[in-house]
Formats: sequence, C-alpha cells, structure tokens
Amino acid sequence: MDKSSTHESIIGFMKLRRTAQTDRVSRDFEALFDLHWAAVYRLLCRLVGDPAEAEDLALEAFLRLHQRYPAPQEGFNTGGWLHRVATNLGLQSIRSFKRREHYELAAGRGAIERAASPQPAEIFDEEERRRLARQALTGMNPRQAQLLIMRHSGMPYKEIAAALHLSTASIGPLLLRAEREFEKRYQALTQETP
Amino acid sequence: MKKHLTDGQLRAALDGELDDVETRHLESCADCQTRQRVLKAQVQRAAARLAFLAPASADPTPSAGSAWARFKREILTQKEISMYKRLFASPALRFGALAVLILALVVAFPTTRALASQLLDLFRIQQVTVLPVDFTGIQQLDGPISKQITQLISSSVTMTQKPGEAVEVADAAQAGKLTGYTVRLPQGLTPSSLLVMNASAFTFTIDRARAQGILDEAGHSDLVLPESVDGAEIYVNIPAVATADYGTCPKPRTDGSPDENGAGSPGRRYADCIIFTQLPSPVVNAPADVDVAQLAQIGLEFTGMSPDEAAAFTSTVDWTSTLVIPIPKNAATYQQVQVDGVTGTLIQRPSDDAPQFALLWVKNGIVYTISGLGSNSQQALDMANSLP
Repeated sequence: MDKSSTHESIIGFMKLRRTAQTDRVSRDFEALFDLHWAAVYRLLCRLVGDPAEAEDLALEAFLRLHQRYPAPQEGFNTGGWLHRVATNLGLQSIRSFKRREHYELAAGRGAIERAASPQPAEIFDEEERRRLARQALTGMNPRQAQLLIMRHSGMPYKEIAAALHLSTASIGPLLLRAEREFEKRYQALTQETP
Repeated sequence: MKKHLTDGQLRAALDGELDDVETRHLESCADCQTRQRVLKAQVQRAAARLAFLAPASADPTPSAGSAWARFKREILTQKEISMYKRLFASPALRFGALAVLILALVVAFPTTRALASQLLDLFRIQQVTVLPVDFTGIQQLDGPISKQITQLISSSVTMTQKPGEAVEVADAAQAGKLTGYTVRLPQGLTPSSLLVMNASAFTFTIDRARAQGILDEAGHSDLVLPESVDGAEIYVNIPAVATADYGTCPKPRTDGSPDENGAGSPGRRYADCIIFTQLPSPVVNAPADVDVAQLAQIGLEFTGMSPDEAAAFTSTVDWTSTLVIPIPKNAATYQQVQVDGVTGTLIQRPSDDAPQFALLWVKNGIVYTISGLGSNSQQALDMANSLP
C-alpha cells in the first residue's frame, strides 16, 4: 500500500467513525426525548394554558438541551435541567402581555368546550383566578416561582432540590417563603382588579 | 428531641417530606401541631390558587413520535449556521446581519483573491450566489465546537468603528441625508418604523493555530489551513444601513441581547413583519498572500462537501464580487427572480409554524434585502417592484 492510499484509508476510517458516533449520539438523544417529552410538555401546558405555545416552548427546551449534548458532565441531571429551563421559558412567555391575552382566550374557550354542563360564569371566574395566579408567579423572584411551579406540579423535594441546585432540607423553608410571597402578590392583584 | 420544629420543617411535614426523627417529634408535640395547623391554612390557600398546575390524568399530549419529527426539523434549522438563521429568524439582529454575513463569509467562505497589490479593495458585492449545503452532516456544530468557533470569532474581531444606536427617521429623504445615498422605499406602503444605522468597520485577525485546532477537534485533521494565513488581517467596512419595518417587528438590538419576548415562536409573534434593508456593498480588504480558493475549499469541505464538489464550486465563483449565501439543502429552497429591473434571489424556508423568506438583489452598487416570516413571498416581490 503506497503512502497516498494509506492516507485515504485513514481519512475514510475517520469519516466512518464520525458517522457512527453521530448516529449513536442521535439515538441516545432520541431516547432522552422519548423519556422526558410528555412530562415537559404537560408541565408547560398547565403553566401557560395554551397547548400550541406549550409545544413550541417544550421543543425550545429540548433544542437548548441538544445544544449542550452530549451531556457536559457525568451524572448530568437531564430531567431537572429540562424542568428548570421549561419553567423559565414558560414564565418568560407568560410575561408577554399580548401572548397572555391569547392564552386566556384560548384557555377560556377550551375550558368551556370541555365542560360537561357549561356554566360560563363559573368557568370565567376560574379562568380569572388562574390569570391572577399566573400574573402573580411572573412578578416573583424567578427562583421562587420555579420552586412553586415544580412543587405544585407534584415534584418531590429531592427532584426539586436537584433541579434547582438546592439542598433537600432547604426546600421546606424556601417553599413556605415563596408561598407567602405568592399570596401577598395575589392579594395585591385581587385588590387592583375591579 | 426537645427543640421545636421550624416553620420550614412544618411546611415540609405537610408534604410528607420530613425525616423520621422530626416526624416523631411533631407527632408528640402539641405546640408544633398547633403552629402547623395555622401554616396548613396558608399553604392550602396557595395550593388552591395553584391547583391548575397539578397533573391531571386526562392531560392530552402530542405523541413523542410526532414531537420528535418536528424536533428534527427544528434541528435542521438550528444547524444552519448563524448566518442563515440570523438573516431570517432573528430579525432583532438584523442590523448586525450583514456584518455577521460578511464575517461568516470571511471565516467560512473567504472572498478575496490573491492579487498583485499588497492590499486592495478585494470584495464588493455585485451579485449573489446561493449554495445549498447539507448541514445535517456537521454534528460538530453543536456543543463545544460551536462555542469554540464563537470564541474564536469574538476574540479575533476588533471593532474599529462602532455603528452606535439606530436613529429613527421620518422619511426616505431624511434617511438619505444620514446615510449619504438615495434611500428608496416601496410606494403606497407606510413603514411602521424607519431606522438608520451608521457605518461600521472591524478588523478580523486570523489565528491559524486556533482555527486548525477546531478543525482537528471536529475530526477534520485532513483539512489543513495554509501557514500563510496566520496573523493575516482582514478589514471589513460596512456602510450605513437603512431599515424599514412593515407590520409588527421586534425592536432592533445591536448588542446581541435576546428579544424581550424571547420565548415562543417568532412566527406567531411577528407573523406580519417584513423588514426591508438597503446599503451600499460592504468592502473587504485582505492581504494578497491569502489563498482564497484554498480557504474556500476548506470551508466547503468542512460543511461536508466532497473535495471534488468543493473544487467545482470554487472554480465557478468570482470571489471578488459574489456574495455567497449557504442555505440548508434540506430546509430551504431558492430561485432566481426578475425584480427591480435586475435578477434577484428568492430564498424560502417552508415550515409549518414559521415559514420564512428573503429576497436579495443588487442594483447600482446597493444591496437590497426584503425578509419576513410567513409564506407570502409575493409581498416581497411586489414591494421590490414598487420601488421608485
């Protein structure tokens, strides 16, 4: 084998190896996507109240994960990272006034359509309470808001602590403080609302 | 255990998250139980208000399979190197788009040719050529390599003339006074904003060792940058840009900070936004010993093109006058169109949620672009053809 064909063989081998690595990374990422998609989407759907926006935001969270992939270090907490990014994206999205109007309309319409025996006044009141709660969340310190969202979505303390880089023992006190802050903001909004 | 529980521990107990020792204390301490009852009422109030966050078994969810299919399409978009993405999808960066375009051009698709003189005005845009590239093969553009490329660019660039803040102007005449050239606007349409960005200039110094290091790390040791490029300084001058917005468009940011409505799909937020920019051709000066054809070939092979294809393409392009725009083979289409009395290029990216288009043409030394979100690219053609 002369020098040039050896060189070509090495380059060919490197290209093959790169393709194989790419395929494996892609399959691994798809498995992660399968594992976390439903949880991330549902969390966002409940948070923002609009399925289409939730899907956009969930995909954005996975795109951001993909930009960091393969995992930056061993033991990387993918689920926690995704939840943290997703709640941030959801809160940012709710802050946009125009988008909020759209969500409320979509959420209200959806609720009326889903109701077994439509009682628009009650549904409207319920949607108004949700609107105020979302508004109160977006006015809070983002870390406190994330803590409330994660806990009231049913995440155990250990998972919240891992996602937010906190100790498990600190979750109770921080949660209590966040709930008090939330209540204060909610009450203030209620008084502003005629 | 004599010490009473803190409020935080009592709160954790309501979620069943207290350890055994503390739980036993609570069970036997009337004082703590009383305090917990008060807390419980507060917590229940907050829980009731946030009950909409609680999972419900009936939550309908798009299947992971369909979401994955959409995700893969989005990845294709993500991979379209910043130049394409910024030209279309991030109108907030549009003032920097041409600078980025030229910069990317210098890095990936060098535009200079070794000429007799040591330093000449080597590049002025007289025409536009589109190069479909299969970006899906560049897995290394994700992750650390992408960061290294960004760092290399940012550490290699020195702004010699900053454009400053964009200035809002009332009409084309006022824009013309500021830019120093005749600003044309489509007839019969009123822009939602008309801005002028002053001229800017930067120098790009090639760091061969770092650039080669990136190629090696990306698995492209077979691509070797010539020694002669090390330390070469490339000067880029970008004349004043006039930008007219039509519809609801994001506010321009020159610092690269994210759009304030950063989350969600731009396609839905700015569905009616069309952006029309014009500027005289940027000028790129480079040392004569920079072997353009060789660098261009390396750039093209880095994107995954075969050596033969890359050589064939580089030989067909006049690098001194052609703006080469790589577009994603799998996610965008292009066609030549007659517009404003010359031949222009219409690039379209079909997408379910955020289709995008851009129309580019060069006339009398001025580069024009009309870009927007949406699938109605006819609007761009109509606007271009209505220019006075």
